[in-house]
This record gives sequence, structure tokens and C-alpha cells, in this order.
Amino acid sequence: MAVAEDPQALKPVAVDGQAEPTRLMRVLLARTVVWVFLVEVILVVVFGILSPGHVFWTAGSFRDLAVDGAEVVLLAAAVTFLLGAGELDISLGANIILSSVVGGRVMGAITATSTNILQQGTYHHVLLGILTGLVVCIATGATLGAVNGFVVTRMHVNSFITTLGTLGIATGVAQILSNGADLASIPNALQLQFGVRSLAGVFPYPALLAAVLICGLWALVTFTRFGLHTLSLGSSREAARRAGLKVDRHLMTLFIGVGAFGGLIGFIDLARFATTNIGGHQTDALEAIAGAVIGGTSMFGGRVSIFGAVIGAMLAVILNAGLVIVGVQSFYQLIVVGVVLILAVFIDQRRQRIL
Amino acid sequence: MSPSGLAERVPAIAVKGAVKRYGHVQALRGASLEVYPGEIVALYGDNGAGKSTLMKVMLGVVPPDSGSISIAGREVDMTSIRESQDRGVDAVHQDLALPPDLTVLESMFLGHEVMRTGLLGRLGVLDRTAMADASREALERLGIRLTTVRIPVKSLSGGQRQAVAVARAVMWTSTALLMDEPTAALGARQSDIVCDTIVSTAARGLGVLVISHDLPRTLAIAHRVVVLVRGAVAFDGPAHGLSVPEIVEIMVGHLRDSMGGSSNGGS
Repeated sequence: MAVAEDPQALKPVAVDGQAEPTRLMRVLLARTVVWVFLVEVILVVVFGILSPGHVFWTAGSFRDLAVDGAEVVLLAAAVTFLLGAGELDISLGANIILSSVVGGRVMGAITATSTNILQQGTYHHVLLGILTGLVVCIATGATLGAVNGFVVTRMHVNSFITTLGTLGIATGVAQILSNGADLASIPNALQLQFGVRSLAGVFPYPALLAAVLICGLWALVTFTRFGLHTLSLGSSREAARRAGLKVDRHLMTLFIGVGAFGGLIGFIDLARFATTNIGGHQTDALEAIAGAVIGGTSMFGGRVSIFGAVIGAMLAVILNAGLVIVGVQSFYQLIVVGVVLILAVFIDQRRQRIL
Repeated sequence: MSPSGLAERVPAIAVKGAVKRYGHVQALRGASLEVYPGEIVALYGDNGAGKSTLMKVMLGVVPPDSGSISIAGREVDMTSIRESQDRGVDAVHQDLALPPDLTVLESMFLGHEVMRTGLLGRLGVLDRTAMADASREALERLGIRLTTVRIPVKSLSGGQRQAVAVARAVMWTSTALLMDEPTAALGARQSDIVCDTIVSTAARGLGVLVISHDLPRTLAIAHRVVVLVRGAVAFDGPAHGLSVPEIVEIMVGHLRDSMGGSSNGGS
């Protein structure tokens, strides 16, 4: 397609010399994520057929999918920024737990004093408590992100090791703060008005919030200087430095930002379940990273796909829900996602070599 | 051809007494050089003589152990790449400093992005159309025509990448342009265009420093020649009247005298 008219001028090497497949075929061939999406459509069809009374095809079932997926999908979209810059954060699951514990405690302290809860079973200052809790959740996540960013940029410890360390640290702190027991004093208004509610009875609020934020993240990486700098950091750190970018400052911003998203997801978790989930979330960060990579984001930086991350992360969600509905152990989900992850990266690498 | 009255003028960029040690290897031993506005200085030296290190020191990419750098007569912070860029110094590096995943237009404008006007610009939204047009023009001036500048740098040939790096540096320089082997990946015709670009850049009143192994081509356009031997300046004089064999003699002769014929050392 791109051939210079001047015979002396250099020709792009990547685009000529190959038979032109149709446009649709090229899109299909070029993107593993398209295959993953097709697999998901097939799964929805198959689960629908197999489920008792085709219950998998009902609006309620799709709503559950959206709510179940909201957290991990949003996390996948957020962690895509770090992957794009060539970094990792595997502490995000612990971040969600710690943020929800800290935010939940603050929320409880404001709304549920011993007198009003024990004597009247009601909450005080509900709105103030919930909003403060939201801010505290995000701030806790951002703080953990700042710790990660500090260790990576100032102490020059690899981000995998750094976040492996803070994964343990944050989990331990959350256990200490909560005495290992899930918090119960979360105002139920949070759950009733947001966590389990749907806009017009159709669009669940947590999923709606995630969708809006994901679109924002997509716009950020696609259209803005911030997104360009993020990708340049992952594509060639040294080139970015020589271009005069403030590499460490940008990395710090990324860790803090992604950490803040972890905190927000901690808040969404509180809203959905009206309690913390100290025992859960262990695999959230890895699921998010796997989703992003299945969706076409490079582990080595420079290349990202926000919506690819969404599709990649939804695979596990659909499998989980579908397997439960058709009465198969959901553990098979782990196996399928693992196989798809490896296949996706394998196919992607082969395609890169062919190009 | 040589600009007259250089002595009274302020150098576009000058480095004084640069010393850089990498462990046991002394890459620079007090090297000094100046590049005056409108002047083309060819920096020669054998492999490991310290040419690239000296250039990186001048750019703030590699902080020296000691020494000083001034741009247009004012001393600069030697650890700040940004500062030298803000003062109009840019470079073509030997190991090409273009992020391979960015598109041609993105890598040409990285660090100098054009933003949209109004609210979108304040939100950090890029004006890719404006950058694409300017990139295409800058590349055409170097004789490179791509039908699209929206393809990743990694899909370009080595020569094209080199041309993009040269075009990028020329675009952002307003005081001094430093080039490390700018013709290394290029064919004869492209090399000539790059040399023409160097001449026209100097004619705009910029100082140009060129590191090259292509002695005949660069000697033909240089006003002054500086030869680096084992991290120190062994020769600094007008290019006029110098021949390639004479320069080679300086480059390797000193090595023969001092080291018994073999060369080793820093980058």
C-alpha cells in the first residue's frame, strides 16, 4: 500500500511484498483478541443452549456477568497502562483488600457508632461516611502505588519484585487492621443504592462506572500526550530519556494512578458485598494482567489495547458464570484461561516474526 | 567557506576538560572542544577513542566525572538532557534513539508534542494531523517520502529509521546539532542528502558536530577537524588542506606510539 513514487526514495518494508487479503480478513488475522471475542460469543451460545431453561441468555444473567466482570475488567484496563510502560503491578489484589479495609473502617467509624448500630440498628451521616470512605479507599490505593513507584524509580528494584514485596506487605497490613475478620459495619445504603442497583433497572451501576472509566482510559492512551509518553517509556526507556521525558516522574504517576484504581475497585467491592473480602482477590492482579495480555497488550511495553484488555479479562468471567450455570466445576475456567493466555502470546509472537 | 572571525564569537556549544571513567576504563581524559555558530566540526577517532562518550557528555545523556559544558556562552547543568534541549541542542545518536513501537510522527515529536487548541489541548490531547504534516515535510526535505507517517518506526528499514532520526534532530535544533554516525545505515545518495542537510543547517547559523567513519564525505564539508585519541584531543585545526591519510595517521599514529599498535578502551 505504501510505495514511494520516487524510485530513489526508500520504501516501507512492512507493507509491501505481500498479497493483499481482504480488509476483514486482515483485521481477523491481525488481532488475537478478535479470536478471543469469537470464542466468548461461542461460549455464550453454548452455555445458553446447555443451561437449564436457557437461563444464561436472560437479561438477569447478562447483568450478573457485567457486575461480576466490572472489577477485574476495570483492573485489566488500568494495569494496561503499567504494562504499556514496561512495568508490572502484581500487588493490585492486595491493594483492593487493603483499600477496602481502610476505607471500610473509616466508613464504619463515621456511620456506625456503637450506640446507633447496637441500639437502633441505623447509620449516622451516611452520605458523608460513604464519600469519605470513597476518598480514603482511593487514597489508600494511591499510597500503595506511590510506595511501589518509589521503590521502582528511586531504589531501582524491578517492578515484579517490588510489587511481589508490597503484595505481601499490603496483605499483612490489611489482616492486622481487620484482625483477620471481614468488616461488617458498612452502611447498607451503599450496597442498596449503588452496589446492587441498576440504572433504569438494566445497567448495573458498578458496571456502568467501570465502562465510563474504561472509555476514559482508552481516550487517555489513544489521544493524549500522557498516553504517548507512557508507550514511549515501554517501547524504549532510553529513547524516552534522550527525548527529554521525565521518565521517573512519569513512572511514579503511573504507579500512583493504577494504585488509585485499585483503591476505587476496593470501594466498588465494598459496595457490592457490603463487607470486605479479605480472603478473596488473591488472583485479581494476575487475572487482570492475563486479560490485558490476551487482549493484545505487550508484556514488554510499547503496545496496548484497552478494549482488548476488557475482552481478554471477560473470558474468565464468562467461563466462571457459564460453568456454574451448566453445573460444571468452575475450576475448569482456570485451565481454559491458562491455555488461552499461552496460545494468545504464542500466536502474537509468531505474527510479529512474520511481519 | 570557513566562517571568518571565529575567535571573537561565542561557541554554540563548548565542552571543557571532560573526564569520564567507566570502572577501569578511562573513556575521556580532559577532552575539550568548541563548535561555533555556522561551523561544521568533524570529530574523528578510532573505535574506543571516546567520540560517542564525548557527544553524550555534551548532551547531558552521560554525566561526566569532571568538566563543564556551555551552550551559547552559558554554562549548563550537565545532568539535564531537558536543559540542553531547551537551549536548542539536539542530536542523532549512533544507537538510534527512536522508540520502535511509536509511529514515525510520534517519534519525531516525542518531547515536543503539538497539542490541540482550546479545551482539548488543555486536557492533553495531541494534534496528530498537524504533527503528521510537519513530519512529512521534514522527511521530504531529506528526500524521504513515506505515504504514511502513521506506521511504527520498527516497520521501517534501517536507512529510513536513520533518516527519521536525522529529520527529528534537525527539526528541534536551534543552537547546535550533534550527530553520531548519521550516515552509517545509509546508501550513497541518502548520505549525500544528509551531508547537504548538515551544510544547510550550518548555513542557518547553527553549530554542527559530526562523528563519522566516512572520512572523505565528511571532510569535504567540515570547516574544522578534531581528532580524539584515547579520550584526549590529539588534533584540532582547520579542515582546509587536510587529507584523509593525514587524519588516519593522527588517529592511529598516536596509538602506535603510545600503545604498541593495538587499540582498546571505552565506548
